[in-house]
Amino acid sequence: MQDAIFQVQHLSLAYPARRGHPAATILDDISVDVERGSALTLVGPSGSGKSSLLRCLNRLEEPTGGVVRFDGRPITELDPRELRRRAALVQQTAVLFEGTVRTNLMVHAPGVTLDVSESRLREALAEVGLDAALLDRDAAMLSGGERQRVTIARALLRDPQALLLDEPTSALDPPNAMLVVETICRLRDTRGPTIVAVTHTPELVRRLGGALLYLVKGRVQAYESVHGDGIIDERLQAFLSGGHP
Amino acid sequence: MTTGFGIIDLSWWQVTLALMLVVVVATVSLRQHLGLERDLLIGTVRTVVQLYLVGLVLAAVFTAARWYWVLSILVVMAAIATHAAVSRLAKPIPGLYWIAATALTISTAATITYVIGIVVQPRPWWEPQYLIPMAGMILGNSMTSAALAGDRLQSDLFARRDEVEARLALGFSGLEAVQPLVRAALRASMIPTVNGMMTVGVVQLPGMMTGQILAGASPLTAIRYQIVVVFMLAVATALGSLLFVRLAVARYLTPAHQLRRYLL
Repeated sequence: MQDAIFQVQHLSLAYPARRGHPAATILDDISVDVERGSALTLVGPSGSGKSSLLRCLNRLEEPTGGVVRFDGRPITELDPRELRRRAALVQQTAVLFEGTVRTNLMVHAPGVTLDVSESRLREALAEVGLDAALLDRDAAMLSGGERQRVTIARALLRDPQALLLDEPTSALDPPNAMLVVETICRLRDTRGPTIVAVTHTPELVRRLGGALLYLVKGRVQAYESVHGDGIIDERLQAFLSGGHP
Repeated sequence: MTTGFGIIDLSWWQVTLALMLVVVVATVSLRQHLGLERDLLIGTVRTVVQLYLVGLVLAAVFTAARWYWVLSILVVMAAIATHAAVSRLAKPIPGLYWIAATALTISTAATITYVIGIVVQPRPWWEPQYLIPMAGMILGNSMTSAALAGDRLQSDLFARRDEVEARLALGFSGLEAVQPLVRAALRASMIPTVNGMMTVGVVQLPGMMTGQILAGASPLTAIRYQIVVVFMLAVATALGSLLFVRLAVARYLTPAHQLRRYLL
């Protein structure tokens, strides 16, 4: 690929055997490139390794084999903290810390410079479709959809090159899930970041476009681009329509 | 009968009379169907046997009056305290014995060195009458606080793992990401000691002070010792839990600022 922001080569991840737990292979020989500014959607049944693959991209997980490159450099050569600021993760369950929306948006590691001026905070909230009046609201009082959009705004404040979305809508009811899908798609149109998403939401898969990677038991079962014609692979079609290929 | 120090020397017959108190507990357990009779019996036998054996050993060490015997006793006490602290944790973590042993040894050694060497100043410094009971109290309290802190840290790391990873994902270092959990664990372990300082002597007389008064010491001498003991235990508790939590939390983190989820 000409301009890949992520290059994943022969990636594997396994957990050692522990007391009461046998050794487990989570990812097995995964290779995939993600083009800068494009989208890659990871789909597959529960336990197929989608979230683990996503977490390997920002090094929250340490692969047991293979290489992940970010911007051409193996991520093991980068400071993980810097990598995670450039490839921001949005978790499945929106984690907001104690305090107001403002304190949640302003949270940053000691010694790191972050523009958290009033105008910047308002702008970040506007980008995710939230009103600036929420800034001084207790974060615990937000709805599920608002919480998730605040975590996206918090990630955006770091001006990331890539957004890693780990099932961002799965913990939400359908109306809130649609609001988050709208937010993500709007960001894709306005900011154009690289997006790698784990999702079960066909609407998000279709609207993100880009490429689709289908994982089963830690192995790649199918990989294809999402075109206007729709998804060609029957297994992917069946999976996204709720069936079991 | 009284000893030369004015203390009533309890005969075994008198101790057997005290056993009647345990019979009351057993009766309550039976009547209320608490199912504690077996544990109560084992506990009673262990109390008598363990304390009797400890008494024999201490009597021998006091008579021998050699520094190496005193230190040997302390080493055995530290090993037992380490095992007790470790066994209270719900899940094992790699190197747990070394972590507990290091935390308890350093906290006890630092505290006892100050109290014996600078505050009390017995001659010789290893005088078993002072060193053994004081080190025992320090070890016991360090052990309890380390176990409390470790238990809280472990349960919080599991319950709040998404929160820790949210901080890591925002670019925090591993230690920065777990800092709120470390703080909560330390507070949980130190609060009983700090609360105890509020009511010491008011709600009940502390064990050491009671023992000294029973042994014929003036209450004013006993309170001075007790004040030293309260301060000594406060620092031992803080040091023990701080060292334990700092060493333990490092096991859950990697140099690449990752949380070892499989250990949770």
